[in-house]
Amino acid sequence: MLQHKINIKETSGPMPIYGELFLSEILSKPIVDQEGDVLGKIKDIIVVKGEPLPIVKKIILSKNNTLYQLDYKNISIFNKRIIAAKIKADKLQPYIASDDDLLSVRDILDKQILDINGAKVVRVNDIRLQAYLGYIVFIAVDIGVRGILRRLGFEKKGHNFLKFFKLNLPYNLIRWDSLQPISPRLKSLSLKMPKLLLEHIHPADIADIISRLSRDEGAHFFKSLDNESAAETLSELEPETQGEIISSLKTERIVDIIEEMSPDDAADILNDLSRKKIREILDNLKREDADSIEKLLAHDSDSAGGLMTDEFLAYKPDLTVEEAMKRFKEDAHDVETIHYIYITDELEILLGIISLRDFLLSLPQCKMSEIMATNMKTLTPEDDEDIVAATFSKYNLVAMPVVDKEGHLLGIISVDDIIDVILPPRAKRKIKKI
Amino acid sequence: MNTLKRIAIYLSLLGPGLITAMIDNDASGITTFSVAGARYGYSLLWTIIPTTIALIVVQEMIARMGIVTGKGLADLIRENYGVKNTFFLMLGLFFANLGTTVANFSGFAASMEILGVSKYLIVPTGAILIWLLISKGSYRFVERVLLSACILFVGYIISGIMAKPDWSEVVNNTFVPHIKFETEYLMLSIAIVGTTITPWMQFYFQSSIVEKGLKKSNFFITKAEIFIGSLVTVLISAFIIITCGAILYPAGIRITDASEVGIALKPFAGEYAKIIFAVSLANASILGAIIVPLASAYYICEAMGWESGVGKSFNEAPQFTWIYSIIIFISAVMVIIPGSPLILLMVLSSFGNGILLPFVLIYAISLVNKKALMGEYTNSRGYNIVSWTTICVLVLLSIGMLVSMYMQYTKTNSLFFLS
Repeated sequence: MLQHKINIKETSGPMPIYGELFLSEILSKPIVDQEGDVLGKIKDIIVVKGEPLPIVKKIILSKNNTLYQLDYKNISIFNKRIIAAKIKADKLQPYIASDDDLLSVRDILDKQILDINGAKVVRVNDIRLQAYLGYIVFIAVDIGVRGILRRLGFEKKGHNFLKFFKLNLPYNLIRWDSLQPISPRLKSLSLKMPKLLLEHIHPADIADIISRLSRDEGAHFFKSLDNESAAETLSELEPETQGEIISSLKTERIVDIIEEMSPDDAADILNDLSRKKIREILDNLKREDADSIEKLLAHDSDSAGGLMTDEFLAYKPDLTVEEAMKRFKEDAHDVETIHYIYITDELEILLGIISLRDFLLSLPQCKMSEIMATNMKTLTPEDDEDIVAATFSKYNLVAMPVVDKEGHLLGIISVDDIIDVILPPRAKRKIKKI
Repeated sequence: MNTLKRIAIYLSLLGPGLITAMIDNDASGITTFSVAGARYGYSLLWTIIPTTIALIVVQEMIARMGIVTGKGLADLIRENYGVKNTFFLMLGLFFANLGTTVANFSGFAASMEILGVSKYLIVPTGAILIWLLISKGSYRFVERVLLSACILFVGYIISGIMAKPDWSEVVNNTFVPHIKFETEYLMLSIAIVGTTITPWMQFYFQSSIVEKGLKKSNFFITKAEIFIGSLVTVLISAFIIITCGAILYPAGIRITDASEVGIALKPFAGEYAKIIFAVSLANASILGAIIVPLASAYYICEAMGWESGVGKSFNEAPQFTWIYSIIIFISAVMVIIPGSPLILLMVLSSFGNGILLPFVLIYAISLVNKKALMGEYTNSRGYNIVSWTTICVLVLLSIGMLVSMYMQYTKTNSLFFLS
């Protein structure tokens, strides 16, 4: 009777894992019952989402070519030498593989995964397990050579071999909380909301990662980005990949993303789409945004007209610096490039430019016309992108105005638009391997 | 757009199927077929038809896998068969590709010997140039030019026709196998399959398909390309055998030197036979010497999860750089060793590929039959039958070869053959 009153807490149970324990060290090892009889060999582990790390729910074992499942609650000893269960063979439940279960060997081991901190795609060579609050959790992933050697059974020999040369065989582990699973099936295992994790990676790096993934994985990964990151990442991708991703998105999503872009970047993206698609997207945008983009689409994509944006700061010549400063503080939020202020008359003819430096260092009562430079270099909308690049390079400019024959200011090109022509970034260069 | 840019774009339109076909006839290929024709006349021609069928079937499977999964072959093997299997396969692939690169440098050396340039000079120079081209990433354009030069092989077809062989004998041997139970014969038959369906080319082909971003809607064009490409490449191979069989075999020329092969082109090119042969061999060899080390580095790194990519510094991608550098330089060294038997090396490399092929095929067949991977695009019964038959035949030929090698050894106490 006394026994019924004693509460045996389960958390004090089976989980003493001593030292480090890797998945490869327990795979194919036998599980024994309390009497030492072998229940079966470990084939896989079912894992579920836990706070903060994925926890082991069941162990899958095989005996006589049949699969059985063992709930982790029924484990009494768990270390790299012995794994023992509390129950006997007749209490084992059979197991049928299902797509709904997350299996460590089938779904995680040897697959690719995203390392957020390193902003690159890595491969899981091994998984490290640890005890935590009475559970067994997946704490880290081994992506290094040591993991490969361990899987092959040569870890000790490799380590000793290198020790002979006074070299070290380093561990290369990544904590689970800085990993983002790529395959859709593993989504439920990701730690934080993808948005929080991905905030840390620069869009150019995200584009790099997407270009390394397979077509479906890349599109799926892109979908998890928020609109702002998606907009920046999309601009950094190679045109073909852009097209593939856009075709996998719904029109509303495309519109949301385009809205976050400046008109010249948006025009670049839309340029490669079918006329029908372009029409569809433009119809769903705000009037002024659609107009800006349409104007840019009218030009050849690799000409100055196609590269320019119509978002710039333009003030009248008789404004004082003080007045202009007030306007600047409001206008600058919406404009991408503020390196120069352009001075135009009421007909929008370009009269001069003021660099931001000169603007900030001038006396407040000066008129804009007094401090502006009038011998500026300009481009025409028909100028080829190679000429634009050469001009930027020759005069070391950060931005250049684009004017028509009469001198009307049509738009500006900033150096980040043309730098892709001078040296295309890795994600944009076709990563042809062979 | 200037002309060079235009040419480059035009060449890039060539589909993976056609490009793979052109690369198929590399140094070891040309040599294997030439030796086959020179030593056994037309009697090895029967291997052509089964090999062609196998080639088309295997390439179609590979293309299908690439299109449906969007992943490379090494990637798939790693993800589905784990690191142990992948490691040993990559090890085998490394050595087979080392052999192929040795063959390519041999071909390069041999062709230069015909033109009178010493191999001690040209091989190290070539190796260094190729290494530089790869490290700087500027091999792309060179590759395209070399590919188009492959058209020179048509010379064999013309030569073969002009040599007026006994066509009834040719046809007879093509459709009726006259198998000789001799070590050399069996080895050459394995080599013929191994050089036509090279293991590394399957990885290359699948990666090109994936990179080109081909979709299911492209299935038909890809299949057509495979069919045409395979036919062209096998036709050239067949004609190399026929031409050498018609000209060298009756004359008893056994080909221990590459220049002897050039003679086979006399009907077509007359005085210039040797030169044209040397140029086309050099062309194929350089192309192979660029592609194979690079491809090996990419697949091994892809499978092992190491950083890869040309243009990355040594610190960024150490294993990648090591792999292609080792392959290039060890191959070059093996070729310049005085007295190294160039012809033997080239045929041995085809043989090595033939031995590795069954393993690669087994993985490919298992992958392509996985429903979870391929959905409704798994193999049909017919495909499985052809694939498994190819594997069985290869294994049987290998066993047969080992047996005959043993018997020859006990008889003559020497393993000396192919010289």
